Amino acid sequence: MATALKRYFADGSSGATLSVSQKVYVRSRRGKATKIVQEHYLRTDIPCSSQLCPICSLNLPKDSSGAERPPILSREPPTAGSWGPHYLVPDTNVFVKAMDLMEHKSAFYDVIVLQTVLDELRNISLPLYNRLRALSQSQEKRFYVFHNEFRQETFVERQQGESMNDKNDRAIRTACAWYRVHLDETMSKSSEIVPQVLLLSNDNDCLRKARELGVACTNLDDYVRFLPDCDTLLDMIVAEHGGDETHKFAYPEYYSTSRIQGGIQIGNLHQGVLNISQYNYLEGSVTVPSFDRPLLILGRESINRAMHGDVVVVEVLPESEWKTPSTKIVEEDNITKNDNAEDDEEENLLVTEQERRALAEEPATQNSSAEFKVQRTAKVVSVIKRNWRSYVGHIDAASISSDAVATRRQTSVFLIPMNRRIPKIKIRTRRAADLVGKRILAAVDSWDASSRYPQGHFIRALGDIEAKAAETEALLLEYDVQYQPFTQSVLDCLPIEGHDWKVPAETSDPRWTGREDLRDLLVCSIDPPGCQDIDDALHARPLPNGNFEVGVHIADVSHFVKPNTAMDSEASSRGTTVYLVDKRIDMLPVLLGTNLCSLMPYVERFAFSAIWEMTPDAEIVNTRFTKSVIRSKEAFSYEQAQLRIDDKSQTDPLTQGIRDLLRLSKALKAKRMAAGALNLASPEVKVNVESETSDPMDVEVKKSHETNSLVEEFMLLANISVAAKIYEAFPQSAMLRRHGAPPKENFEVLADQLRVCKQLSLNAESSKQLADSLDACKDSNDPYLNTLIRIMATRCMLAAEYFCSGTMAEPEFRHYGLATHIYTHWTSPIRRYADIVAHRQLASAIAYEPLHESLRDKPKLERVCQNINQRHRNAQFAGRASVEYYIGQALKNHELDVEAYVMKVFSNGFVVFVPQFGIEGPIHLRDAKSSFKFDEANYALILNEGTDKEETLQLFRKIIVHVETVVEESTGKRKVAFRSQNPKIE
Amino acid sequence: MSRPEIYSPEGLRIDGRRWNEVRHIKCAINTHPASSDGSSIIEQGNTKVMCNVVGPAEPTSSSGGGGAKSNTNSFANENKVTLSVKATVAPFSTIDRRKRSGNDSRIQEMCLTIQHIFEEAVMGHLQPRSQIVISLYILAQDGGMLQACINAASLALIDAGIPMYDYVCACTAGMHDTEVLLDLNRLEENDMPFLTMATLGATRKVSLMQLETRVGVDKLEPMMAAAMSGCHYLRQIMDAQVRKHGKNRLARVGA
Repeated sequence: MATALKRYFADGSSGATLSVSQKVYVRSRRGKATKIVQEHYLRTDIPCSSQLCPICSLNLPKDSSGAERPPILSREPPTAGSWGPHYLVPDTNVFVKAMDLMEHKSAFYDVIVLQTVLDELRNISLPLYNRLRALSQSQEKRFYVFHNEFRQETFVERQQGESMNDKNDRAIRTACAWYRVHLDETMSKSSEIVPQVLLLSNDNDCLRKARELGVACTNLDDYVRFLPDCDTLLDMIVAEHGGDETHKFAYPEYYSTSRIQGGIQIGNLHQGVLNISQYNYLEGSVTVPSFDRPLLILGRESINRAMHGDVVVVEVLPESEWKTPSTKIVEEDNITKNDNAEDDEEENLLVTEQERRALAEEPATQNSSAEFKVQRTAKVVSVIKRNWRSYVGHIDAASISSDAVATRRQTSVFLIPMNRRIPKIKIRTRRAADLVGKRILAAVDSWDASSRYPQGHFIRALGDIEAKAAETEALLLEYDVQYQPFTQSVLDCLPIEGHDWKVPAETSDPRWTGREDLRDLLVCSIDPPGCQDIDDALHARPLPNGNFEVGVHIADVSHFVKPNTAMDSEASSRGTTVYLVDKRIDMLPVLLGTNLCSLMPYVERFAFSAIWEMTPDAEIVNTRFTKSVIRSKEAFSYEQAQLRIDDKSQTDPLTQGIRDLLRLSKALKAKRMAAGALNLASPEVKVNVESETSDPMDVEVKKSHETNSLVEEFMLLANISVAAKIYEAFPQSAMLRRHGAPPKENFEVLADQLRVCKQLSLNAESSKQLADSLDACKDSNDPYLNTLIRIMATRCMLAAEYFCSGTMAEPEFRHYGLATHIYTHWTSPIRRYADIVAHRQLASAIAYEPLHESLRDKPKLERVCQNINQRHRNAQFAGRASVEYYIGQALKNHELDVEAYVMKVFSNGFVVFVPQFGIEGPIHLRDAKSSFKFDEANYALILNEGTDKEETLQLFRKIIVHVETVVEESTGKRKVAFRSQNPKIE
Repeated sequence: MSRPEIYSPEGLRIDGRRWNEVRHIKCAINTHPASSDGSSIIEQGNTKVMCNVVGPAEPTSSSGGGGAKSNTNSFANENKVTLSVKATVAPFSTIDRRKRSGNDSRIQEMCLTIQHIFEEAVMGHLQPRSQIVISLYILAQDGGMLQACINAASLALIDAGIPMYDYVCACTAGMHDTEVLLDLNRLEENDMPFLTMATLGATRKVSLMQLETRVGVDKLEPMMAAAMSGCHYLRQIMDAQVRKHGKNRLARVGA
């Protein structure tokens, strides 16, 4: 219950004239009644923000810096149908159902967002609220947040017996009515047409009451019908549920909140993130702190409407139902091909017979090696947090009924996401026929217990499948890469001189303060060929005492990107530059990245330098950091630098410097290796594209020179030195990077596989032992085997992550892979945001400039870390997916036989890895004519057993596969397909 | 439930004020003439504090400020008046009804702070060997307890006719991101760094500046400037109230 107490007070100066104390009694957690009293000031100076209103535009409130917010709503608002020029006032439900619509470019301009609506939306969904806030922040769409609850005339008090919803609806109507009267009054002398105020609501009762008040109103669907392009727009509205049908099957209901809270506390329920297997859409796993090994979630019913990445609560099943992870490849499209999108409720069973069969397990084999493989199984009992986002996919043409095409009736169709881990999404559309064969972006809205598939809605079509532009955009959307051009407000942060910006000639210029003049040093940069964003440059010179001075000079990005500017927040949200095969999506505007910050040769540039004094054995005597000005003498590619070193005739000081660097880097590397640093491998290939058409030409494995490792060693050293320095200066808020030691269990399977198949041992006790045993894993006949094992070992490890030093204990800082106790990223500020943060912290640690508040704020930094970790991961995935797509394109017209290794063995197929292209893929035995037997203990498939053509396909075996590309029916992706050639499988 | 917006992009705070507006203030003096020499009550928004002043009077061992000093006669200062401050927090003053013991260290600390402030503001040399007891009753809390206590004590001392150099006026200012906010309520106090400042009248003499949260050094100046303007505004209001009271009193005496 709530009471309100009104008080008037006269105060000429401010707009607040009346205060209302709201007293609310709330039942506290322990059942006691508590009283919350909040003040609420009502004012008369909240503007209507219409550019037409002569009164409000004169009295604009100022903020603490004295700036005004100009009126937002335009003089000429849009018209639609019979409605003349109008401002729109949507209610909360409209935003919930149609946020995608609101963001659409073709309609919905000049919208008044009421405070009541905004608050309600915030309580319903924070992401939606954030999207709406972003809309109101960008000037383009002209969304104005009107604080109706603080304006005296539009404030409504909750009445006796009135529900909160009713009160809010009444507040919305009151605000609309006020707007109309206000505009009529203030514009009575003006010659312009007074715009209407149009209430958008889907609540019939509310619409009726609004009409009684004389407020123009309509429901959303009727309004959209009058807009151009209405078919597309209508598809974007979240579908209503016809919830009255009786369903023959249903997913188990989720547990109640209290039961879950209780369960987690006693420990019989567990919370974790669901991870769906890449090869089997019916198998998921959840890692929870209580158990060493992940819990298996098997089957549609156990997964219970959870999707990949959702935070779920699971219950462990009884021991009799514990299983080994599936040894089969199960793909959704092969099993659920015939589901009908229109009426999937008609089927009787939730879990179809095919699915059941696909999951049926042969009883766990009773041998010693299988023991550790039996895992706990569990079922999902609740979803704490959905990881839903927009998904890219294509329409399953088979799911469209033919009469729907003719009548353009709204029908349900299936959208098959590109990501195999995501189930099909049911969307309703009128344009099913037009959308077939297109890449489509859709959002998931809900998943009822009675619906086999989640319900979503169409957002937009990206273009034809396999068209380069559409595929690239699909990829960027799928990995949530922000690829929109930089906004004007970001570009406004650039120096006004643009490309003509120069280091000030006068050293008395204030920008020179605190900078060291290092222009005379023989600095050069070594990068991949064609590199434009040169982050780093190096120098080395002998000192009179026999030691060496070595300097790493990094582009001084933090000079241009100041905290709390539009550019800073954009860079922070992008997090990293994303490199695709034919495209680079920059974190910073191109002017900075490839010109002003880039340490190009022969020009003066601002830099941040780390300078060491080292003995010839690379023992560090002294470290210092300084802001500087440098002039790079040369920009080498790795290959050029290598040639220069090897060319004995070159004896100039620059070449000598590089040779010194190389020698020192080898000493550094040796020390690092002795400390147990891992030499990991990932399949890295490079796709050469034709410069004109950017059609892929061929694929090659990246070459590595000694100079690669030269640059790498010094970057590592710089990062480590900087990490130590900023941690010393800011023990609570330093931006660091860690790589957790992987739990030993992660290596169990790989170690067993190596023992069984290759009689090799793998010891993962410590990084040192792992490094040594990896070095020992060699087969003299097969040099590539070692790389393959390293690739597989890498996959057993955890991902490195950024973190804020105050959030972990110091022993946790360790970087496992590099075997160093502290690490950060500092050397690539042009393409990574973490480096910019480290730059700012280092600048403050050496007393160059004071540290901005936000870099001291632990929670804020944690949010930054979380975001850049996510962005970093996505950027890697996007890069890989891009390579995969281009390899597919490159091989489009070629078919060839290549060497491949067996990387995984299932009972009905196996996965091969092709070193030449760095790709892997499954080979199914489902259609094979040859007989085969799965020998689980030996990780092998035995073909044609007992005949003279008997072949054993064991893990790590080298085979020849036939490579061709096919367009996969299910995902619409052009994929590389493999067929085993030797041994031949028909 | 999600946290509400502390400061909206449109420039409105959680309770509808703008950045530089103080809460509604209501104050009165001489509210308890029977039980004290000077008394006052002040409401700043929903924070409500009552103050009684007894003195100057002969020091007694029972009315001392507690601690080791209280039981001896050396308690009386030869040169200047002795101030003692007591504060009682009503159990119903917060959202959760909770009894506080008299020797809560935070309250003790606050009492000591107030004592130090008024030792400087009161012309203590005029009343040597005597004692003034300031009793504060915190009736409702909604942020800014210290500032309300200082303002209430200031008014009560004036009501008691104790010679002072000027009013001591206190106000808080907080920093939300880059925005300074004046006179924080409870929700705002919990969310951001803030300082309490007290000035001697409408001057730039600062008699208290208390900051218990971390804040960047560059943020301090705007916060201080805002808090000071708040103090000056408060002096106007308090002064107007005292004058009004005086006028009424004179009218009554005249009649």
